[in-house]
Amino acid sequence: MTEPVTTAKTDPTPHADTVVRIEGLSKSFDGRLVLDDVSLEVGRGRIVSVIGQSGGGKTTLMRCVNLLERPDRGTVEVAGEVVHRDGRMVCRDLPGLRRTVGMVFQRFNLFPHLTAVENVVVAQRKAGVPELEALERAVALLRRVGVAHRGLALPDRLSGGEQQRVAIARALALRPEVLLFDEPTSSLDPEATREVLSVMRELAADGMTMLLVTHELPFAREVSDRVVFVDGGRIVEEGRPEQVIDHPEQARTRAFLAAYGSAS
Amino acid sequence: MSGFFQVPWSDYRSDLIDALWRTISYTVVSFIGAVLLGLVVALLRLSRAWPARALAAVYTELFKNIPLLAIIFLTYFGLASAGIRLDVFTAGCLSLVVFYAAYLSEIFRSAISGVHDGQTEAGEALGIGKVGIFVHIVLPQAVRQALAGTNTMLVDLLKSTSLLVTVSAAELMSEGRLITSATFRALEVYLVISAIYFALCYPLSQLLLLLERKVRAGVPLSPWRRRRVRTARTLLAADLGTNLKEPAV
Repeated sequence: MTEPVTTAKTDPTPHADTVVRIEGLSKSFDGRLVLDDVSLEVGRGRIVSVIGQSGGGKTTLMRCVNLLERPDRGTVEVAGEVVHRDGRMVCRDLPGLRRTVGMVFQRFNLFPHLTAVENVVVAQRKAGVPELEALERAVALLRRVGVAHRGLALPDRLSGGEQQRVAIARALALRPEVLLFDEPTSSLDPEATREVLSVMRELAADGMTMLLVTHELPFAREVSDRVVFVDGGRIVEEGRPEQVIDHPEQARTRAFLAAYGSAS
Repeated sequence: MSGFFQVPWSDYRSDLIDALWRTISYTVVSFIGAVLLGLVVALLRLSRAWPARALAAVYTELFKNIPLLAIIFLTYFGLASAGIRLDVFTAGCLSLVVFYAAYLSEIFRSAISGVHDGQTEAGEALGIGKVGIFVHIVLPQAVRQALAGTNTMLVDLLKSTSLLVTVSAAELMSEGRLITSATFRALEVYLVISAIYFALCYPLSQLLLLLERKVRAGVPLSPWRRRRVRTARTLLAADLGTNLKEPAV
């Protein structure tokens, strides 16, 4: 049994400006411990990839950042403000927190009754952005992710890759400080995966802070500042991508990577 | 067939128009009431509080399993004998509202719970509040799901106003009965009354089918949404330097 490694204070490239800080986080569902004393930091402009087997707690960890899941223990801090501590929500402005943290889902979750451009507009309008400004920003974002030409299409008329790119534009619309990606390419074919990863690569080049849960290890190795391997609800190993992916220290990480290598 | 059309229809024209208008009034008022009450009952059934769920379930099962005619008699004659005297229009509308709200609540409940949880979650993740999520995300999708069943209920309600003949509600069927008792031409009169119901119901159901198709195709129906899509089209065309080809919207 290897000892889990906590990450909060071990970043070899410490960044003064931390956007997400998680400390001692635990979460159970129906008595089953899904996250066990997990700590993690994402500095501004940094990209942290969380890898690991399905059911290992990666998605739950991510969902605790914008409080779609409420942790049982531990502290969640976003943009310098503690939002959840020891099972209690201390965030006074939950919608505000969620506008600070953009999220891209595995299954896109676009609103099917609205066109692509309206999908990008709706949250802006609820946040008080004037109509024309919201539309202009939506058009600019759709162009940025390469789907402006499908701006008036309903989601069910878009390919998977186009839907996910619209979802990324939607998550960017409120100018979040950090973007969470929950396995954004898991439902996509290889071509669509390439399209989406290309957009994410551009966001990374633009300095977007990102926390991503992914099975795309080559991509994680390429863009991440840090890679975190989660298994059984604990962080087993974390560090620079070439360290964790190419020269893992822990046996469980090696076993996961070996299984991944033989599967792909 | 000789002497088949012997009812002096011109004598009854204005009475028939009044009756037609009354039938439409019963339908519109009752349908609006039934939709509102049905929505409330559906939300209660989806509530986390069990007393609310239980109350809504009792309501739905009760009124789904009592004939409309019995409800009409209870509302008009029954309440009167208990000292609550309602005029025939109020009693008629109330009967139709409580009866159809029970069915509509089932349609709405199923439509609302049919909206995928991921939609609510996406709304939450975008910082949209609970009310905003319901109004802008869940409800429009639920309406699309509920449209077919609701439209069927509307046409059914229109036809059911004919049961109000039993309390002399002065709608089309009551008028038909009056003309019959004056002319003794039951076949002719009720054929004409049936033709008027058909002339109301058939175009209505076709119109509702058209509406259903437009809503499913995502055609913006509200003026503000049309304005938004129009502006978006202009901005996108300017951005791309060409017109968009999306036909549906």
